Amino acid sequence: MADRAGWQDVVESELRAAGRELEVPPASDLAAAVRQRLEGQAVRHRRMPGPETGARRRWLAWRAALVVVMAVLAALIAVPQGRAVVIGVLRFAGVELRQEPGPVPSPERSASLPGQRQMPLEQARHQVSFPILVPAVLGRPGEVLVSDGGRVVSLVYPRTPYGLVRIDEFAGHLDQVYFQKFASLRMMTKVEVNGARGAWIKGPHELVYITRDGAPAAASARLTTGNTLIWGTRQVALRLEGNLSKSAALAIAASAR
Amino acid sequence: MLVARYTLRAHRAAFLLGAGEEADDVVQEAFVKAFRHLSRFRVGEPFGPWLLRIVANETRNLTRSRRRREALALRMGTATPECAAADGPIDEVLAAERRARLMAAVNTLPERERRVLVCRYFLDLSEAETAQVLAWPTGSVKSRTARALKRLRGLLVPAEQNRVSSG
Repeated sequence: MADRAGWQDVVESELRAAGRELEVPPASDLAAAVRQRLEGQAVRHRRMPGPETGARRRWLAWRAALVVVMAVLAALIAVPQGRAVVIGVLRFAGVELRQEPGPVPSPERSASLPGQRQMPLEQARHQVSFPILVPAVLGRPGEVLVSDGGRVVSLVYPRTPYGLVRIDEFAGHLDQVYFQKFASLRMMTKVEVNGARGAWIKGPHELVYITRDGAPAAASARLTTGNTLIWGTRQVALRLEGNLSKSAALAIAASAR
Repeated sequence: MLVARYTLRAHRAAFLLGAGEEADDVVQEAFVKAFRHLSRFRVGEPFGPWLLRIVANETRNLTRSRRRREALALRMGTATPECAAADGPIDEVLAAERRARLMAAVNTLPERERRVLVCRYFLDLSEAETAQVLAWPTGSVKSRTARALKRLRGLLVPAEQNRVSSG
């Protein structure tokens, strides 16, 4: 039996190695065709003939064009009334990332979520429908805030080695938007947290809370501090914010229980 | 950036699952469908397998409608073996030959077994993701993978044994 497992490993690793060398031609320029079709005009894309040497360049151009088109399409689909100039929208774990100017932030330090109440962690656990995860690395939060009738819980750590750290948690498996962020897609990179995907957003950006009705809560609009990590588990989505390095943020996230 | 990753994979998946030079059409169709049905996509769910499932479906429709039942042969990139043959160490030359032989064997496998190998090893999907993409039960993914690996071994090992016995 050990022999059988051995040859299987060999064939599998050979297959993987061979797979990396498989011949796959570059793709054509599809962006315009996809856009036109979604706009209701069924057109077939035009193939772009060309020498093999230009393939890589065309491929990159195609990718770049498609990213923009997909972002615009996502925006058109996600926003019912099509806000004036939306350059791009990306939804992830209850957070919508928009590439456009954000709302006017509230005066310094006074921004708050609707119906925000402070309470002990144990009491908060009874107020929300999802499990509250607490990062073991940070320990017990200094402040626990439950907002909007238990739709969001925020853990605030006023004094950590990284300064003020804030974690917002919400039921991320629902198809709802809890926060809108106004940032360039270039600020965002994909990361992995406990085997699940996450997003790392480098730098401050405008943030606004979105109520159940889908309306932005004006009083919640503010500029974030430091960097932000967004990730989710099966039941809860989390947004970690503070003057953290990426590795520190990932370590905190990985320790959330 | 996230989307760029998926477009790359979508095209590779379509091509390797048998769309051949019609991979562009398949990916175009898949993106259009994905965006039309964006509301069916759950936020917590990984986007990749969801999109690849549409790609796999479209590819299947295409290969079914094509009169030719046999899928297109997968080929090794020409650049690598040539470079290896020209000035690479002997190990690399042998490895390139071995892989070319392996791919020839993969091309002779029954359609379903080939599809499962493409997903698992050429697209680097997990068993669960493969099940989702091919719309098969996980058990079928496991059993067909095992059968395909066994068959590949059968196709490769006798050749070596023959060489040994005749040499």
